[in-house]
Amino acid sequence: MTRRLSDIWCVFLIHLERVRAEAGPFVLAALVFPAGMYLFASAVGGDAAPTGGNAGHQLRFLAGSIVFSLSLTAISWLGYLLLENRFTGRLRLFATLPLASSSYAFGILLFGLAQAALGIASLLLVSRVFGVRTALTLSTSFLLIVLIVLMMLCGCGIALVIASRARSFSEGSLLTDALGAGIVLIAPIYYAPESLPRALQYFARILPTTYAARAVHTTLAGGRDIASDLLILAFMALVTLTVGFRSMRWCED
Amino acid sequence: MTVPADSLRVFEPLPVPRTSVARPDDLAVSVRGLVKRYKDGTEANRGIDLDLHRGEVIAILGPNGAGKTTFLRQVTTELRPTSGHVSVFGVDTVREPERVRRMMGITPQEAGVFESLRVRDHLELFARLKGLSKRDAAAAAKETLEDLGLDRDANRRVGALSAGQRRRILLGLALVGHPQLLVLDEPTTGLDPAARRVMWSILRRTVAEGASLILSTHSMEEAERLSDRIAIISAGQLIAFGTLTELTTTTTLEDLYLELVGDRYPVEEVCEELR
Repeated sequence: MTRRLSDIWCVFLIHLERVRAEAGPFVLAALVFPAGMYLFASAVGGDAAPTGGNAGHQLRFLAGSIVFSLSLTAISWLGYLLLENRFTGRLRLFATLPLASSSYAFGILLFGLAQAALGIASLLLVSRVFGVRTALTLSTSFLLIVLIVLMMLCGCGIALVIASRARSFSEGSLLTDALGAGIVLIAPIYYAPESLPRALQYFARILPTTYAARAVHTTLAGGRDIASDLLILAFMALVTLTVGFRSMRWCED
Repeated sequence: MTVPADSLRVFEPLPVPRTSVARPDDLAVSVRGLVKRYKDGTEANRGIDLDLHRGEVIAILGPNGAGKTTFLRQVTTELRPTSGHVSVFGVDTVREPERVRRMMGITPQEAGVFESLRVRDHLELFARLKGLSKRDAAAAAKETLEDLGLDRDANRRVGALSAGQRRRILLGLALVGHPQLLVLDEPTTGLDPAARRVMWSILRRTVAEGASLILSTHSMEEAERLSDRIAIISAGQLIAFGTLTELTTTTTLEDLYLELVGDRYPVEEVCEELR
């Protein structure tokens, strides 16, 4: 067990070095896009000035932007890292070590969690600048952290599947980008579910972003009644991670 | 890549006394009846038998697509054999792949390094992933950097190094922690003659310290200078295996190689075209 944790930590450290070298894209993925989406949604959603107006809308847009940030970090960015490792031969370096493939995946996930924490903390700070006031307490903050971890696990599972199955780097990148943003835009996270076309309403029910956005919105508003959303997200994380690990190839056949 | 058996001029492997008298505990690698058939039906290895003794160096020669890399990747547990058996120091590669990899240092062909890492950190972190403690990994990385002549570049980022230096780092990742067995897939491909000689000298020193080595190469000179025995693989089969002296009693290694595998390329026709 100690060995496994040490392996996960080393994989995390190897990837953490990239943050120093490539800080720009990290900030872009985790903060700038979601913050931009918040402003866009606030404007389109009726609050022309994001600093004033409907507090309920503001919290929903902030919850949406948090989920957007998580989705981009988990699917687009982690997927990109996994693809890059696979198609530049770095994965082969790991595959030649006495290292379990799950340790590699969890090391990358840990890196994603660190980045997500940074992105979400920045978003909450930026939102305060725009006058958004959340009702987060110690207990709801804990629930928010659990939600972030579950959403990241779901996204990591999806990223693992894409990175393992893609036939080329470009195909994989397109898929991770499309899904990272797509499952946010299709899910009713910036608007009420009822405003979606009926077919999309059914589709949205199988997306983790739908439940994550609802639960994040509740916690930001100070609520704790998110047990059902947590359970659904935990189930989805279990399914996507299981599929992700099963489809993960330690080497090319 | 299946070639009709009768179209191959099979060179009968010469009897090698060390194989016949070898005790199991003298073997670093034992390969028996190794077959690898890919999903598309391609047979990359077709019944290979080979033993590598402790402290021995075997060079594997063969044209592109002959099955050298597939063979090595089965030894390193990266690929699962379709049939046959590979053991490393008596440990089965299919049953206990992690234990096998713990005894090995491997340089895969076309592996990538992490450009954003500093040279020392790269070696140290990979040494830790091989199971060394933090303190031992730091000491092993320092020692390997000195061995590779990269100690002055220890704090530079890998991305700032030349191709030859990066190749040395890849070798360093295999060497760090003193593995008992080294498996190197074309370790000197793309290096200039001076860098190649540096690599040879590092490998000789490592073997002198007790490691066993199996490497694939396209260089006859490399095979002649480094190895105790030479294996030639063509169309997935081991078509020649012996010491340099045994293989070159009547001819040079290059002539023998071309005689055995040269007919797979239309050399004469290409020369005629060029004329």
